[in-house]
Amino acid sequence: MANDLQLPVFTNTSEQEVSGKWGMVIDQDLCTGCQACVAACSMENNVPFVGEEDANYGRSMHWIRIERFWSGTFPEVKMTPYQPMLCQQCHNAPCEPVCPVFASVHSASEDTNLQVYNRCVGTRYCANNCPYQVRVFNWRDYTDARARPWLTSLQNQLSPDVTVRRRGVMEKCTFCIQRIHQAEQVAASENRSIADGDVTPACAQACPADAIVFGRIDDPNSRVSQAALNARGYHQLDELRTTPRITYLHGASNGSNG
Amino acid sequence: MSPEISRRDFLKLASVGAATTAALTGCGPASRYVTREPYVKMPEYNYNGLSTYYATTCRECSAGCGLVIRTFQGRALKVEGNRDHPVNMGKTCPRGQITLQGLYNPDRVTDPLHRKQRGSNDGEKMDWDAAVQVVTDALTHNQPNEVAFLLGMTPDHLFDMVSDMTKAMGAPAPIRYGAPAMFESRATLVQAAQTVFGQAALPSFDIGGADLVVSFGANFLEPWLSQVSQTRGYRNLRQGTPNHRGLFVQFESRMSQTASKADEWIPNKPGTEAVLALAMGRIIAEARGLPLPPAFATADVNQAASQADINADDLKRLATILGNAQRPLVIPGGQALAQSNGLQTAQAILSLNAFLGNLGKAGGVYLSPIAPLEDAYHRPASAKEMADFVGTLKKGAVKVLFVHGVNPLFELPKSLSFADALKNVPQVISFATFPDETALEADYVFPDHHGLESWGYQKVATGSNASVLSGAQPVVSPFHNTKATVDLLLAASQAAGGQIASALPFKDELEYIQSKLSTMLSNANGFFTAPEINSFTAYFQQHGGWWSTGDDRLAPTAADALNANIGASVSQFDGDGEFFLLPFVSPTLAEGGANKPWLQELGDPTTTVMWNTWIEMNPQKADEMGIQDNDIVTIVSPFGALEAPVYRYPAIRPDTIAIPFGQGHTAYGQFAAKRGVNPVDLLPQKYNEAGDLAYAGVKVHVQKTGRARKLSKMEGVLGVYGFDAKQ
Amino acid sequence: MAATAKSLPQPRARVAEHEDPRVHLMHDPRPRGEMNDMVLESMHTATWRYWIATGTLTFLVLTCFVFAWYYLIANGLGVAGVNRPVYWGIFLVNTVFWIGISHAGTFISAILRVMKIEGRRPFTRAAELMTTFGLVQAGASIFMHMGRVWLAYWLFPFPNERGLWPDFHSPLMWDFLAINTYLLCSTMYLFLPLIPDLAMVRDRAKGWQKIPYRILALGFRGTEGEWKNLHTAMNIFAFAIIPVMFSVHTIVSWDFAMATRPGWSSTVFGPYFVIGALHSGMAAVAIVLFLIRSTMKNMKYFLRPEHFNLIGMLMLLVSMAWAYFYFNDYLVPWYGGDKWEKILQEFTEKGPIWWLWYVMLICNVAIPWLILWRKKWRSTPWLLAIVGVFINIGMWIERYVIIPEALTINRMPFTWRIYIPHVEIFLTIGTVSLFLLLYMLASRVIPLIPVWEVQEGQESHTLRRVGKAELSTLTNIE
Repeated sequence: MANDLQLPVFTNTSEQEVSGKWGMVIDQDLCTGCQACVAACSMENNVPFVGEEDANYGRSMHWIRIERFWSGTFPEVKMTPYQPMLCQQCHNAPCEPVCPVFASVHSASEDTNLQVYNRCVGTRYCANNCPYQVRVFNWRDYTDARARPWLTSLQNQLSPDVTVRRRGVMEKCTFCIQRIHQAEQVAASENRSIADGDVTPACAQACPADAIVFGRIDDPNSRVSQAALNARGYHQLDELRTTPRITYLHGASNGSNG
Repeated sequence: MSPEISRRDFLKLASVGAATTAALTGCGPASRYVTREPYVKMPEYNYNGLSTYYATTCRECSAGCGLVIRTFQGRALKVEGNRDHPVNMGKTCPRGQITLQGLYNPDRVTDPLHRKQRGSNDGEKMDWDAAVQVVTDALTHNQPNEVAFLLGMTPDHLFDMVSDMTKAMGAPAPIRYGAPAMFESRATLVQAAQTVFGQAALPSFDIGGADLVVSFGANFLEPWLSQVSQTRGYRNLRQGTPNHRGLFVQFESRMSQTASKADEWIPNKPGTEAVLALAMGRIIAEARGLPLPPAFATADVNQAASQADINADDLKRLATILGNAQRPLVIPGGQALAQSNGLQTAQAILSLNAFLGNLGKAGGVYLSPIAPLEDAYHRPASAKEMADFVGTLKKGAVKVLFVHGVNPLFELPKSLSFADALKNVPQVISFATFPDETALEADYVFPDHHGLESWGYQKVATGSNASVLSGAQPVVSPFHNTKATVDLLLAASQAAGGQIASALPFKDELEYIQSKLSTMLSNANGFFTAPEINSFTAYFQQHGGWWSTGDDRLAPTAADALNANIGASVSQFDGDGEFFLLPFVSPTLAEGGANKPWLQELGDPTTTVMWNTWIEMNPQKADEMGIQDNDIVTIVSPFGALEAPVYRYPAIRPDTIAIPFGQGHTAYGQFAAKRGVNPVDLLPQKYNEAGDLAYAGVKVHVQKTGRARKLSKMEGVLGVYGFDAKQ
Repeated sequence: MAATAKSLPQPRARVAEHEDPRVHLMHDPRPRGEMNDMVLESMHTATWRYWIATGTLTFLVLTCFVFAWYYLIANGLGVAGVNRPVYWGIFLVNTVFWIGISHAGTFISAILRVMKIEGRRPFTRAAELMTTFGLVQAGASIFMHMGRVWLAYWLFPFPNERGLWPDFHSPLMWDFLAINTYLLCSTMYLFLPLIPDLAMVRDRAKGWQKIPYRILALGFRGTEGEWKNLHTAMNIFAFAIIPVMFSVHTIVSWDFAMATRPGWSSTVFGPYFVIGALHSGMAAVAIVLFLIRSTMKNMKYFLRPEHFNLIGMLMLLVSMAWAYFYFNDYLVPWYGGDKWEKILQEFTEKGPIWWLWYVMLICNVAIPWLILWRKKWRSTPWLLAIVGVFINIGMWIERYVIIPEALTINRMPFTWRIYIPHVEIFLTIGTVSLFLLLYMLASRVIPLIPVWEVQEGQESHTLRRVGKAELSTLTNIE
């Protein structure tokens, strides 16, 4: 029996040693705030809608949200560039060590944070500890058609590649891991390694301004690696040393609030 | 699928294009010949566990973006953009993404209905044979001029077919209309092009090629003409030229989503865009030492700045920048055109473009390519024409009204009193897919398929350099007992006999479409050619349409553009209220999105409000009036009144309030009904010279009601507006 | 205890009332049999008031605890007020609060026992019960908090088909183990001194009632060897449970201190939480003793103002220590200069629920300091109980400020939202009711006064006359 139990091995790799595999660059100068990424993400990942009241109470399930702030008052008012905020897939993710049941774990092969829905018991510690506040919790059975009869026909659209989450579990952006896996399988069946551009998450695919670039950041020639070298690049809350996998490019829209 | 071509032949055909577009399949589960069966009997081109992708066209607005729908075991799962399609090039807007929630909407009209009493929720279900009989009777028992068709904005195969039919009958041509046409002021743009360039076409603005864009109220990053292609243009403006970031200036009284991306936002007083544009032209002409063109002769820079309530130095500075730009572009649009002087505004701005010398050049003004199957650009009806049509209805001259793809009871200003007009029409037949307000007031509802269940094509009006006929095909079998409207009308035409039957000798919708497509067989400009119609249709469906390989945009001629005195002045406003009213199309919902719950739950880009209508008011002004966030206020215009909660919006002129259009349905399904208010209730019956509604030409009163309703917001107001802000 | 009971000399009356040693329980002993009967009588006397109170509490437990929890499980956490960013709400406030309450029980019992503070004797039992009953509420609250409580057993390390241990990196896991350890230890520690009393009840019980007591008393007959063993075991436990007690609340504090959140990530949280726990726990002891004294028969003999005085002094001391730590909590962010900590402080003091902060300070510092400095006031049981209620309200609010209020502020200002509790309010009432109900039931089945300990104390004390003064002397009879 003891042999069956696989105790997890935690390796403490410093950020210099790591060449994470998948990454993203978001250009805030291009993002127009149009919400296409939010819509695409929700459609791809079976993200449920929650209704007016819960949405107003911070319970909306958006895996990606678009933030913006203001400075000054009319007529000198400025809006900060739109800032799409999604799971940063940190290498040193604060959400991972706090989960008592290994529901929030790190993927060695993709170097992303995974949320294992069927392990989650809903302590919500990970969400508390996420400095980016990008984890969303199923406060109710938002996907239960018995409680929400209007879902019966809407559920025809659910993607079989993505688990439908029930009440009481935490969820978050996965970098569309089902697409990564599919591309890996296709590449394997064609006896080649994944090429740049083989994987596009739903958000990047939809973005009309092409503000989101996705790809392998361990390949220095990939589009995303090149984009991340941009002088405008920065990481969200870099001071926490979470080593996020998403590089933001400062935007300068509407004045100098970039 | 047409019976002439077997599945196996089809597969051979489809595989020809498979090298370039690996995943696309050319033909859906041929909707009309297949009943819904358990999916153990799979079509042979489907593999268990693998998705099938169908190319089709988005029907959420009339831009005509190409979509590729991922289907899996007979269900549509995901909308993706068609990468080859020249309009959207693989990208989509949120409404396109969420079109599936329309397809699987729980509130769709499932069967043909006979409503005994208009306005009542329940109707008697009938079968389609009876429905065909009803339509046949309507066509034959009335004089041709007593039959009227009111269609949506999209120039699609249904419009062509109805046009053919009405022509054969001798009935008036169908009218295309939609709220977007009103908010986009298409008639004004076309009329201005006619006046300035001598060509009645829809201007096309090459945003991506410019290095400076000055927009007068044009919400080109929002649902305005062709959102996705314009957003691509915005991207190219910023980053299309290496090491040169194009600049963008927006004149608008409220910081719209588009203005929020501008480098500089100039909140001018509504209705002063024409004088500002002319003043800028004058400044540039003077700076260049050119003789003052007659168009700008009357402009007075300081007066214009004071009329617009902006800093004259700002105006001069921006004009200088504009004059020095290498590829400048000035765009008219939005509420700037929806004023009594809207046509002058458009003319002034197009003249300014002509003066800047960007006509037909990269980064300049073009005329949109003429779509295949068209001789010229045919715009949807203007509000004035629509008002005339409502007048015809009111007189009782129309005995039967067919409505498809438009919801006039929701989209037309209340002041036109379409509801009263409808009472004078003895028979109203709606083809609505959803139980919208107009369908509720119809005697018969013969539901059309959802866009993803139907065949078709769509002539793309603008948004691409090439001439595009976007193709549509069913991606899933019909979910309900619905019937393609074209099929219904063709069947009725055959049953009616006579001229109609001989003019439309088609067995079904696909045959009609093929008859139209066959005229394109000889067109060698397309990215594909085919020797005969079946192959052509297969390619057409497989790739999501036909488009030419070249640049079909027309270069406008500017012979007399600058010689006319435009004589623009500040616009006139109805009402004596203290606020300018600025209705705008909700960037997420647009006119038809309210019934899709995920669209409702997308935060508005600038305010992050979800699920409701809000009124944007300047916070300083609100403080003066003692209005807090979420306080319900009454807006009174001379034409109506409505109540909605306030969002204290930091970036709006204190003398302006703005309200989004898209909510306020009384029907249209559980997610839309009784939610928010509809700003068209406030709009005047006032038109600019091109016949477009001067919807921004009204001043309103605002009164506190003392009540409040929490607006559902994506943002936490504490963090965005400080600890004092009300949640 | 020595087998022979010496008869103690009756002390003479004294002039100075406040120094009258007879006020002290130790110096006016009654015969053992009479005392045993007094305790048994208090156990077996149930007035109509008792039944009304028990009935009300049972009703509250059924509605606010059982049904509310069922409602929560059936509908999901959506019926509670938790949201993003306030993922932890009143459930965790209650958990920390009840663990805090449970602290004082062991503190009084073990530390005072180890330090041989004689005044502890009559109220150790009530305090130990508080530990166990408080931990029950804490455990229930943490289960209520879980999104999928039916899988709570996954937190236990046991070989399972999933091939998965719990993650011992997680502070929650430490917390879970610490609370379980504490519950186990404190239950045993409660049980040990209960054995002689159970034996005493067994000897006096009639009919079927004899059976459970016979089983529970483990055959205790009061032989020299049994007493010796009991004392040895209790000494070991009393010493061993003290580090457990300190560690458990330190570990609870690590749930917060280990997190990367402004306002939480602080090294001072361990001792700060322990002091906070003692603060509320002491106050709770005062309330419980007041309730026992004023509602149960014969209890005025056992629980005297002098005992309240002792607790009152401890309360004042702890209140001062708490104030120091609270002040410390300001020093650290001030010295660190973190932007988010500053915003959080501003939010607690000037945000939309600023008044909570003031209520907390008034209850936790101002009221105890103003009242408890005076011996006469703190010796007044009802006054001390009222102060105790205020302190408990204050300490509950303190946890509320630390958990849901601090969670509003994070590093993503776009998400800041206020927490508005819903069903948690009922569940809070439910846990309080269950806590009290358990006491009510316990008062019927076990002696709330460790009567043998009292007698032991009395037997080891004598008044000796030295010159004109009478001095209390202690004979160690163990």
